[in-house]
Amino acid sequence: MKNLSRLTIALLSCTALATPVFAEGDKIIVGFATAESGFMQAYDKPAQDAAMIRIGEINAAGGLLGKQIEVVTADTKTDRAEGAKAGLTVVDAGADLVVVSCDYDFGAPAALAAESSGKISFFLCAESIKAGIQGVGPHSFSASVLAAVQGATMAEWSYNKKNARTFYRLLDTWTEYNKGICDGFDYMLPKLEGASLVGEDTFKNEDASIAAQITRIKSLPAEPDAIMLCTMMPGAVSAIKQIRAAGINSMILNGSGVDGSYWLSAVPDLSNFYVPVQGSIYGDDPNPDVTAFNAKYKAATGGDPSTQYVYPGYVMIDVWAKAVERAGTTETTAVVAELEKMNAEPTLFGPRTFTAELHHQNSAKYLIVDTENGKPGVVDSWTISAPIPVADLMK
Amino acid sequence: MQTLFDALSLGSLYALGALGIALIFGVMRLVNFAHGDVISFSVFALLWPSTDAVALVFAGDLPWFLLIPFVLLMGAGLSVLCELIIFRRFRGANPATMMIASFALGFVIRYFLLMLFSSRPKSISLLPALSQPVEILGARIPLLQVITIVATIAILFALTAFLKRTRFGLEMRAAAENFTMARMLGVRANRVIMGAFALSGALAAAIGLILASQTGTADIQMGGAVMLMAFIATVIGGLGSLPGAVLAGFLLGAASVVMQTLLPIDARPFRDAFVYGAVILVLIFRPQGLIAAPGTKERV
Amino acid sequence: MTDPNKPASVARRTISTPLILTAILIALALIALASGSRPFNQTVIDIFLRVILVVGLYIFIGNSGVMSFGHIGFTCLGGYAAAWLTMPPMMKQTLLPGLPNWLMQLQLPYWAGALIAALWAALWAAVFGKILLRLSGIAASIATFAMLAMINTIYSNWESVTAATSSVVGIPIVRTIWPYLIAAILSVFIAWAHAISRAGLALRAARDEPTAAAASGVDITKERLIAFVISGAVMGMGGALFAHSIGVVTPDTFYLTLTFTSLSMLVVGGIGSLSGAVLGVVILSSLIQALRWLEAGVTVGSTTFGIPNGLQEITLGIVMIVILAFRPSGIMANSELIWPRARPEKPDEMSGTTPTQQGVTK
Repeated sequence: MKNLSRLTIALLSCTALATPVFAEGDKIIVGFATAESGFMQAYDKPAQDAAMIRIGEINAAGGLLGKQIEVVTADTKTDRAEGAKAGLTVVDAGADLVVVSCDYDFGAPAALAAESSGKISFFLCAESIKAGIQGVGPHSFSASVLAAVQGATMAEWSYNKKNARTFYRLLDTWTEYNKGICDGFDYMLPKLEGASLVGEDTFKNEDASIAAQITRIKSLPAEPDAIMLCTMMPGAVSAIKQIRAAGINSMILNGSGVDGSYWLSAVPDLSNFYVPVQGSIYGDDPNPDVTAFNAKYKAATGGDPSTQYVYPGYVMIDVWAKAVERAGTTETTAVVAELEKMNAEPTLFGPRTFTAELHHQNSAKYLIVDTENGKPGVVDSWTISAPIPVADLMK
Repeated sequence: MQTLFDALSLGSLYALGALGIALIFGVMRLVNFAHGDVISFSVFALLWPSTDAVALVFAGDLPWFLLIPFVLLMGAGLSVLCELIIFRRFRGANPATMMIASFALGFVIRYFLLMLFSSRPKSISLLPALSQPVEILGARIPLLQVITIVATIAILFALTAFLKRTRFGLEMRAAAENFTMARMLGVRANRVIMGAFALSGALAAAIGLILASQTGTADIQMGGAVMLMAFIATVIGGLGSLPGAVLAGFLLGAASVVMQTLLPIDARPFRDAFVYGAVILVLIFRPQGLIAAPGTKERV
Repeated sequence: MTDPNKPASVARRTISTPLILTAILIALALIALASGSRPFNQTVIDIFLRVILVVGLYIFIGNSGVMSFGHIGFTCLGGYAAAWLTMPPMMKQTLLPGLPNWLMQLQLPYWAGALIAALWAALWAAVFGKILLRLSGIAASIATFAMLAMINTIYSNWESVTAATSSVVGIPIVRTIWPYLIAAILSVFIAWAHAISRAGLALRAARDEPTAAAASGVDITKERLIAFVISGAVMGMGGALFAHSIGVVTPDTFYLTLTFTSLSMLVVGGIGSLSGAVLGVVILSSLIQALRWLEAGVTVGSTTFGIPNGLQEITLGIVMIVILAFRPSGIMANSELIWPRARPEKPDEMSGTTPTQQGVTK
């Protein structure tokens, strides 16, 4: 038995020596503490690929502050403890910007590691207000738009453009993101003259069947005009499929999390289904540059973007690089100050604003994607009438 | 009316799962934590390995009369393979060791699927004709619910007949009741155990089929939630007791649906806490399970 | 067993086990220190946390022979208690508005928080134990699992005091290795002290020979409850330190995955052995770490060679199965690490009598 422990110690010391050591030179380093395996990988990888495209463009154009951008990565394995390690790994490797997992919950440990080392952290596409000053700290940002904006957008748009008056709210309590969508919906609904909530219910993403919830919708005196469905993959497919299989044909409103055509085969001939997106992956974006980006993405990765969550990765590097360029340094405080000066900064995927109060978007231009007979396409675009106040986001 | 169907169809899933776990427990005292992964595996067997977002359907497009046997065979096959390669080496090991071994095996299967298919849930349209509502006694009920319930009842009858009428079934029941005694009386242990694994695997595949056509999704974690409930059902039903497992499965399904229906909105997210609380109550009042299986009494 | 002189002599004869284990843990800490790498430091902190959790599991499972799936629930209680006690009041006001005012204003140092967290977990262990421990065998296992699921569901949904499924941030992060080392050593000594106490000896007697133990006046339920509460406290302390190690708590961190990985480490190490609990963690963690480095790959020029992602977990699973196939009672079986010359005449003083191998081998 003594041998065993000696062996273990020997093994550990070997591996300790094998810890990779990165050299730091005259270059700018972007560290990705993201998931290369586990379920977050499916969300992190595409956004990271988009970020790499922007980095490639910058490097090709002569770099940032005349220096080339170099990338270091560490795998979080979709695990929080590993995430903290990954964050420390890229900080120790000299990262000037620490990019963390898409999801707030999984990105936070790495972001906290960056924060405590005084580095800027950027969530690839987190949509909770806590992915920023309010949670991680004053040097943390998110590249995406708050989930609440999605819920508010869908409520206001469907009220104005689809004449929806009766709403049903179906919340999957699994994640903060889901709740965020419904919070935005709750914020917007009372502002809509004559709109009413006719019922609400909750379910869990992993529920094998939501039959009981559906029965509750069906026992309403009349089918609601719209069902606000606050959920995400994979439970979303199941919920949508079961709602339609039960013969409920109300308009279904969602967050961006269900964007993409890859799952539509599960619900053949899905219709009356609406999703807000930052850019269209279907080749019909009103902005031709987005379609051009899609082609670039395909050339780089061998496949079309599968959801709109590719885009925030590109936006992230874009705004950060601009801030660095303006600050003339990668030093954290200076770059944060430049980022906070951005007011409706144009990007490929709509304007972006950061303030000293909010490192996130509480208003954004969204394209509305409508799926009819299993074919998704952009039908409209909408920006909520007023940004959601930070106080409402924090409650 | 509709609530009744909701409860029955969810209960069917749990009952089938519990049956699969109870069958194996009966013959070798193994709590098989890999069961959930067998469920996932049989669904993924319908797809070509690929890490793209869009699922490449392989066997999923077969007509139903080929598709169903194919999936059942995959489940049974994997299950038997597990027994041949792994569990055979654990005969007579203590239950905790076997439990962890089965958990490790489930882990291996799950990550094997993850390597081949990536962690992104895949969407498949399985038996799309079933996603239609039908009218029964004034209620519009998804056809799949009806089929689930009917299929479960059919499976239960077939299984009962098999266990009661055939020699193999008799051997299996004898083994479940008292394994050592049965062996002494000439029951071929390995054959019986393999049979139990095959049946259990096929049951897992049946759950996989129902889940996949209901949710339209193939997810490497899809079996987990059902397996946990099934596992609990097996215990409150009386470990090793097949009728107990089925009964408890239906009860759990019903409890879940009824609580979802009756609880006020603010308490609904806490539904599972109530369900598990009920489980503890049942265990305290009937520690041997609803229908205690002979031969599984705990010492002291 | 009731001889008053016995415990002291048992203590002297078995003290080498916790000392050896302490030496192993200190050696690990020194390696981390020597490496000077922060990620590696974090890895070793992780190992210490696992040691605390697995030793906590051992205190109940190893001594009572009852498999518990619920102990990670106490870790969850401890982790959140640490968050409540140590976060800055400002953060609590925004993230956890439902906390009572006195708790809202409180901000303790992390070690005080961890101690109170341990007591808090122990309190709940006493409550749940009182209800659940009249059960035995697999029914008890499932009941403990139901307890875990209840705790998880409540913490996942009680928005105002746990922030529901959202991560609670703002917990002070402690990145030095020493508190974790001390806590791990402390838990080893707690486990050892319990094992040689009257309660521990009686419990193991009841595990191995329930009928005889009951006949000689051992109150099995009471002894189990004692072990349950002590192990609950250790798990709670582990949870609190876990929270400080990454600065984040969420309910799903403390659920099935952690339950099964900790149980696996215990079973692979040897369910009835304190040394097994520690070695199970150290060996499996080292294996995981080695595989991770392989998976991260060796970079040559612009290409990286490494084993494909996912292979790490598969290898881990296979290794576990192989270990269990060859050593069904775990690496240490029921024996302990001891100095060779201190070996007592009866080999298994500390783990009581060796449990009879169940079932038959063919």
